[in-house]
Amino acid sequence: MKVLLEKLLVNYPYVAAVILFMIGALTVLTRSNLFKKLLGINIMESAIFLMFVAGGNIRGGAAPILGEVNPKSVYINPLPSALMLTGIVVSVSVTAFALALIVRLYKSYGTTDARRISQLRDEVTER
Amino acid sequence: MIASITANLPVFVVIAPLFVAFVLPTFARRMRLVEGLVIFVETLGLVGAGYLASIVLRQKGIPIIYQLGGWPAPWGIELEAGSLGVFFLLVISGVSLPVSLFAKGNLTEEVGSKERVARFYVLYLLLGGALAGMAVTNDLFNVFVLVEVATLSCCGLVSARNHPRAAEAAFTYLIMATLGSTLVLGGIGFLYMVTGHLNMGFASQELGRIWQDYPHVVWMAVSFILVGFGVKSAIFPLHVWLPDAHSTAPSPASAILSGLAVKGYLICLLKFLYSVFGPELMQKFAVHRILALVGAVAIIAGSVLALTQEELKRRLAYSTVAQVGYIILGFGLVNTKGLTGTLFYLASHAVIKSTLFLAAGAMLAATGKKNVRELAGVGRKMPITMAAFTVGSLGLIGIPLFSGFIGKWYLLLGSLEAGNILSVAVIIAGSVLCAAYLLPVIRGAYFEPGPEEDWKDPGLPQKIALILLVAAIVILGVVPGPFLELAKRAAAELLALQ
Repeated sequence: MKVLLEKLLVNYPYVAAVILFMIGALTVLTRSNLFKKLLGINIMESAIFLMFVAGGNIRGGAAPILGEVNPKSVYINPLPSALMLTGIVVSVSVTAFALALIVRLYKSYGTTDARRISQLRDEVTER
Repeated sequence: MIASITANLPVFVVIAPLFVAFVLPTFARRMRLVEGLVIFVETLGLVGAGYLASIVLRQKGIPIIYQLGGWPAPWGIELEAGSLGVFFLLVISGVSLPVSLFAKGNLTEEVGSKERVARFYVLYLLLGGALAGMAVTNDLFNVFVLVEVATLSCCGLVSARNHPRAAEAAFTYLIMATLGSTLVLGGIGFLYMVTGHLNMGFASQELGRIWQDYPHVVWMAVSFILVGFGVKSAIFPLHVWLPDAHSTAPSPASAILSGLAVKGYLICLLKFLYSVFGPELMQKFAVHRILALVGAVAIIAGSVLALTQEELKRRLAYSTVAQVGYIILGFGLVNTKGLTGTLFYLASHAVIKSTLFLAAGAMLAATGKKNVRELAGVGRKMPITMAAFTVGSLGLIGIPLFSGFIGKWYLLLGSLEAGNILSVAVIIAGSVLCAAYLLPVIRGAYFEPGPEEDWKDPGLPQKIALILLVAAIVILGVVPGPFLELAKRAAAELLALQ
């Protein structure tokens, strides 16, 4: 038990990632407000970004730039951070697109609640 | 000049549609030019894919490796046009060319103004480029980027119609698909952390060496990737977004979404399962059993759900859920025959489902009737459209002489070889159910009296598109020759890679 706790404490970035991921997934799946769903997606993505960046990090390591730090120190792995830069760009574009869709939905239904929207839609089709 | 083009062909088939996509908006007002450019690029893609396929067939299984920027493998990014890659490239260009022909001069009704049509084509080409990229990529992170490009353009295509329902379907799709790609990215992250490679070949070698040290991480990676791609390719319990998205999109978009986009994610899943984890590891983790079972459930559930749908396009959308089940079931039969069958079935379903959606779209545009029952008598008034629909239905059911049959035949042989009696029964039951939901449409259209209305076949480009697709279904069913050969070789390569 103590060993497990120590492991969790040492690897706190990963624990944080798992917690964030679960918060995000729960928000996406249980909330009916479209904005909250979108926020949930963003939290989930941040969790994955955190996991990647933590995976490339070495505590006390130096930024991998040649000639700036003393050659004895360990370099961290820059690749995951570079990958996550792409990931962040993707996540921003998804967010922008989703916000545009929410605006369009709000204009036609007058609400941002998914349940209310499906009710309104059924009423329209019945008529 | 020509030598340098052929040397760079694997990257050109990806870049060309992307490049043209970004140029298109500048000509937005000149509709003819836009449509001409799109069809030109799709034709180029078909020629390129055909040429690559001929090289791969001649080389007897040695893939064409292309190093982006000239950096060698573990550091640089590789494109690999092997048998699987060129097979899928052929499917993509073979389907998207007729679909863009069908869209010619026909979109303004469904989409709106000229600018909106131009934007539709931008998304269409982006999707084509991303799918071509999925076919040839050999890099884990590239898969994620291409998947995201494909997802965003798919959502754009779904929301192309200026209708609140389209926006609603697109939003649901976007949320579900982003959930899926986040899971895929997580899976890639786990793989990268334990292997230290993003190149599929190197990651696979490393994984074969070290998986015993990190069984939990590998488990997490497998399950994240399986569920992630499962959401995106609408494997049964995760299909909830598909019927709305595919039935509210404009018809050419529905055809391309059901026919190709879903297949792109399935090809990615196949690459992950067989080229990264490898068949041996899959069997150790019993992933193949899960896949076969999930596929069987999807076939039955998707077909039954399709039976209950009144709206024609929704029925076809649910049918896609069932047909994806066949492909997943084939992934789970770890033998050459099963994989050949699954690949051939993937190609034939791409062609058939595009035909069906385009024919349904043409009927919807001509009659304005959505439901199956209201389409009585349409067969005599729109002979070419309905003939295409009939050939597509027969192909989907799996009647001999049409392409669906060969795929199902090999799937059956593969299931027998794997000793999986359940999947044999399910494949046959799926065919019967498929007949049950498609044949009533045909019977109503030909043999029931219709209203006295002037319904007409669509214009010339639309007819040519339908005839091309029907020809593809029949040719694939009668003389599958080199195509089947490519599928067989791709299956053998996937299995040999341990």
